[in-house]
Amino acid sequence: MVPAAIEPTRYSMLYAQILLNGLVLGGLYACIAVGFSLVWGVLNVINILHGSFVVLGSYIAYFAYVHLGIHPFLSVILAGGALFALGYVVQAGLINRVVGAPVLTTLVLTFGLDLILNNGMIVAFTADYRTVQLAHPLGSTVVGGLVLPLDRLVAMLLACVLTVILYFVLVRSSIGRAIVAVRMDREAAALMGVNVKRIYAITFGLGALMAGAAGSLLSLIFPISPLNGSEFLGIAFIVCVLGGLGSISGAIVGGLALGAIQSFGALLIGPQHGLTIAFVLLIILLIFKPTGIMGRRGYE
Amino acid sequence: MAEPFFQIKGLESGYGEIRVLWGVDLEVNRGEIVCLIGSNGAGKTTLLRTVSGLVKPAAGSVRIEGEELAGLECKDILSAGVAHVPEGRRLFRTMSVRDNLLMGAYLRRRDKSVDEDLERVMTMFPRLAERANQDAATLSGGEQQMCAIGRSIMSRPKLLMIDELSLGLAPRAVELLGESLVEINKAGVSILLVEQDVMTALDLAHRGYVLDRGRIVMAAPSEELREAPAVREAYIGAS
Repeated sequence: MVPAAIEPTRYSMLYAQILLNGLVLGGLYACIAVGFSLVWGVLNVINILHGSFVVLGSYIAYFAYVHLGIHPFLSVILAGGALFALGYVVQAGLINRVVGAPVLTTLVLTFGLDLILNNGMIVAFTADYRTVQLAHPLGSTVVGGLVLPLDRLVAMLLACVLTVILYFVLVRSSIGRAIVAVRMDREAAALMGVNVKRIYAITFGLGALMAGAAGSLLSLIFPISPLNGSEFLGIAFIVCVLGGLGSISGAIVGGLALGAIQSFGALLIGPQHGLTIAFVLLIILLIFKPTGIMGRRGYE
Repeated sequence: MAEPFFQIKGLESGYGEIRVLWGVDLEVNRGEIVCLIGSNGAGKTTLLRTVSGLVKPAAGSVRIEGEELAGLECKDILSAGVAHVPEGRRLFRTMSVRDNLLMGAYLRRRDKSVDEDLERVMTMFPRLAERANQDAATLSGGEQQMCAIGRSIMSRPKLLMIDELSLGLAPRAVELLGESLVEINKAGVSILLVEQDVMTALDLAHRGYVLDRGRIVMAAPSEELREAPAVREAYIGAS
């Protein structure tokens, strides 16, 4: 009698824990994807560099912690600022030259730049996996039977805060309005006096900033290596397709969904297949609902 | 003789190898409403796009108060005081009516004067005030045109160029918009109006030009153009 009464609660606690883990991961995924989505939506550029930007952000956090003792939560500012500058220069100096060209042209350019950046990082930092070992980790706590991994949780909350800040910048600030205006109608925006190429550079910079910030937060969770770049890029891509392209709400919904799917998938068929499930789902979604969960049409 | 307020001289323009405008001369005096009429494909839209900097001219000059604009960037032409309401309104979807209007003031420092102008536009078009927080894409055609015109006067232009004021709109909406244009004009803004609806254009304008296959073929006060046999035959459908 007793085991039968306990079983259901034990299962529901297990599921709740897995959902929690998935959402924590998902919040970080949203932060990775939101910059990628912004750049794709506004510039119509599929930024292959995005994954390497995330990795670069992680390295900045790693070295800032190892050499300067700066906590990765604070390095978000450092990594975000550095990546914004890098993104701005790359767009203003290189991608702006071909930004009006078909998607394939810009794709090849960012692919080439990614090869340079990624291999540059391998040369500079080696491909060895590094981890940030915090001297004073927050550890974890148990609330109502659920284990809360505090470092991860704070990282996820910071990621959400950054995403919300980005949202308000886009909606409330003059630059943000100009970014949205350029996305909706480049020519009409130019007639309003918007310097479209400068807005492109700022947008690409913001995308890189979000990648760098996400990388900084992820340095606490994932081992750091240039080899992870392609995985982060894949995550950004899936989140965008899941949530619908170009909207911040889409990136959040897509990120959380991917985190949850991966967590439950790992439970059902083993942790090594978590990403496999995500990709299978991506293919199914592309076939049956290519507009994503949020249902908005993509860039036009 | 003093130089006219706004002057286009020998303007040649087009797209790539295709020449659309062949030496267009046109003037707008201070405080005037001037219309440019002509059939489809005559080059009216190209003329406005060239003046506002969306298309780079191949030759010729465009001057406002003596300042050369030909070849400048859109933002510099807007700063010089020439605003362009594009054909089809081209509002920013997903952005609210208020944000669309604020985009018109993008080059201005955000201070009290911007809020005052916003207030003025909302007073001129009460429908926009009612829908200030609504997505601009949900407006009716007439309201969209109000928003587009309001957006462009948020830049405080000296010359307002409007491409197809009446296209696709109900007669009543066109009438309202026409009254607003006269009001804007009386407040000191000169207007260059491009129209396919010749009667509407000539009712509003003091003078008119007829553009045909990239060349100005006639220029006269509105009353004269209305009576001109060539205009009546070609554009009004009466002989």
